Amino acid sequence: MKFLRLIYQNLWRNKLRSSLTALGTMVLVFVVTLVWSILGFLANATTEKPANIKAIVSERWRIPSMMPYAYSTSLKEGAATESEHIKPSDNMTWTFYGGSLDPKKRTFENIVFAFCLEPKKLLTMMDGLEDLPPDSADRKTLEAGVAKLEQNRQGILLGRDRMERLKKKIGDRFIIHSFNYKEIDLEVEVVGTLPARRYDQSAAMNIDYFLSAIDAYKQKHNGQAHAMANKTMNLVWLRVPDTQSFTQVAAQIQESPQFSLPAVKVQTASSGISTFLEAYRDLLWGMRWLLAPAILVTLAVVIANAISISVRERQTEFAVLKVLGFRPLQIMVLVLGEALLIGIASGVVSAGGSWLLVNQVAGGIPFPIAFFPKFLIPADAWWWGLAVGGGTAFLGSFIPAWTACRVKVSEVFARVG
Amino acid sequence: MSAEICVKVDHVSKSFRRGSESIQVLSGLSLQVPRGEYLGLMGPSGSGKTTLLNLIAGLDQPTAGSVWVGDTEISHLSESQLAAWRTRSLGFVFQFYHLLPVLTAYANVELPLLLLPLSAAQRKQQVLTALDIVGLSDRLHHRPGQLSGGQCQRVGIARAIVTDPALIVADEPTGDLDAKSAEEILNLLCELRTQLKKTIVMVTHDPRAAARADRILHLEKGKLVEQIEN
Repeated sequence: MKFLRLIYQNLWRNKLRSSLTALGTMVLVFVVTLVWSILGFLANATTEKPANIKAIVSERWRIPSMMPYAYSTSLKEGAATESEHIKPSDNMTWTFYGGSLDPKKRTFENIVFAFCLEPKKLLTMMDGLEDLPPDSADRKTLEAGVAKLEQNRQGILLGRDRMERLKKKIGDRFIIHSFNYKEIDLEVEVVGTLPARRYDQSAAMNIDYFLSAIDAYKQKHNGQAHAMANKTMNLVWLRVPDTQSFTQVAAQIQESPQFSLPAVKVQTASSGISTFLEAYRDLLWGMRWLLAPAILVTLAVVIANAISISVRERQTEFAVLKVLGFRPLQIMVLVLGEALLIGIASGVVSAGGSWLLVNQVAGGIPFPIAFFPKFLIPADAWWWGLAVGGGTAFLGSFIPAWTACRVKVSEVFARVG
Repeated sequence: MSAEICVKVDHVSKSFRRGSESIQVLSGLSLQVPRGEYLGLMGPSGSGKTTLLNLIAGLDQPTAGSVWVGDTEISHLSESQLAAWRTRSLGFVFQFYHLLPVLTAYANVELPLLLLPLSAAQRKQQVLTALDIVGLSDRLHHRPGQLSGGQCQRVGIARAIVTDPALIVADEPTGDLDAKSAEEILNLLCELRTQLKKTIVMVTHDPRAAARADRILHLEKGKLVEQIEN
C-alpha cells in the first residue's frame, strides 16, 4: 500500500506515454470484449437445453423451408396417433410475410417483415416474449396487442423502430405489397407495438388473415390457386419437456407417412442454430483462435514496449532505489505495479464502459443474422477487462521488471559518472 | 571490531573483467575510520576511490579481503541483506542528487522510510525533522525541478539522514554545485558530524571540500599513497 502512491506517481512521469498505453489497452480490450461477447452469445445459443425444449420442424431438403399449411394440424400434435405417443405441451406455426408499402420502390424505410401466427402464441412461444414478467409493462402491452390482433384480423403489431421508419402510428391503415407472396397484398391496421429491443424491426399478424387472403386469391382467379398456396408454412415450433420427449416426438414426426412430400426434419433450436452457423464456421474459428489471441499478444506487446522504454530510461533511478535499500523484489513490484495499474484500470474502464455503452445507453447492438436478439455485453465483461488488462500487463512487463531489478548499481553509477 | 571503529577495510582487492582482460582497481587496501570521523578520499580518475566508496556502501563486493561497518561484515552479505542493511545503517549522498523527479521533496525524503516498519505519523515526524536539519522546511511540497541545485542536494542529504544512519557516504557532493551552494553543503556536512556525531566518508576532487575533512587519504592505482591530517 505504501508503494501504491509511488507507483501511481510514476505513471505521471510521462503523461503522453501513459495515456497512449492506456488508450491502446482500452481499444484492444474493447475489441476482445466484443469478440468474446459474440462467441459467448453464440455458444449460449447453440448449447442444448436439458428441459423445456423447443423443437423446430422444417422442410428437410429446402432452404428456406416452405411446407403446406395442411401439415400444421398434425404437426402441432407431434404427429401423435397412438396412445403411447407424446404430444407437445405447446406449439406455434411460422409464416414469414414480407412486403413494402410502395409496390414500385422497395426501400429499408418502407418494407415490413411480419410473422403470421396465432396471436396468442406470441405470449407463450416467442423467444424473449414468453418469459416477460407478468406484471411488466411490456407484458401488459403485448397482451393488449394480442387481444386486438384476435379481435381485428387485419391488425398488425409493429416493432417500435419499424413503426418509426414507416412513419406510422397506432390506428393507421396501409397496404403491404408482398414480395414473397406475389399479389397477396394485405391491407392492415396498426393495433399495437411489439416489446422493445429484439423485435424492434419486426411485425406480427394474425395467420387467419393471411390464409384467407390466399383462399381469396383462388376465388378471384377462377379457382386457380396461388403458386405459393402449398408453401405457406415456414416453420413449426413444438414445446416438449425434456430431451427424451424431444427424441420421441422427433421420431413420431419423421417416421410419419403424412410428411413425405415435402419431407420434414425436427431439430432443437440450438442444433438448428448450429446448423445455420455452419456457414460462419471458419469466421468464428478465426475469431476464437486467431483474432482474440492476436489481440491479447498485441496488448502484451504494447505494454511491454511502454514499460521497456520506461525501464531503460530509469536505470539510474532503480540504482538509486537500491542504494536507498530497496530490494530487487521490491523494485520488481514497483515496475509490475505500474504496468498492472495501467492495464487493470484501462481494462476495467474499457470493458465496463463497453457494457454501459452497449447495454445501458444503446440498448444492445442489432445482430442481423437469423432471429437472434440484440446482442448485449455480458456483465462478466467487467471481469474480462480486469483479467485481460491485468494478465497482459503482467506478461508484458515481467521481463522489463526483471531487467529493472537486476540493475547493477556500481555499473550504473560508473556510466553516470 | 573495536567499538570506536566505524569502518574497517581489511586487505581489500577489487578487480573487474573487461572481456578477457582483468583490471585491478584496488590492491590489498586497508584502512580504518573511527566513529565520528570526517574522512576525505582523493585521487585522480581511475585511482579506485569510487570503487572503495561502493565497497564501503555495500554496493559492490570485494574480490578479496573484507569490509566491516560497525559490527557487520558487509562483504559477505547477500544482495537482499545488503539492501536491508543500507536502509538502516547507511546514508548515501550523490554528486547529481538523484532525486525522483515525480516526487516532492517530502516524498523523496520519505522513500527510505517506506522500507521500515513505521507508521505514517512516525514517518512524517522523521521526514520533517530531516528537512528541518537541512533547512528546507519551507520547501516540502516542491518537486526537484522547482528547486535549485543546492536545495536539491540538501534534499539528498535529508534523504541520507532520515533513517538516522551511523555512516554517511558522499560521492563528490559538491561536484555539481556553484561555490556558494558548495560551501553551504560542506557546512551542513560538518554540522552532521559535529552535532549528530555522524561518520562521514566523502570522495572529492575539490580541495576546499577536502579541507573540511579531519583526514584525507590519497589513492593512486588502487593503493593508499598519502594520508593528511587536518
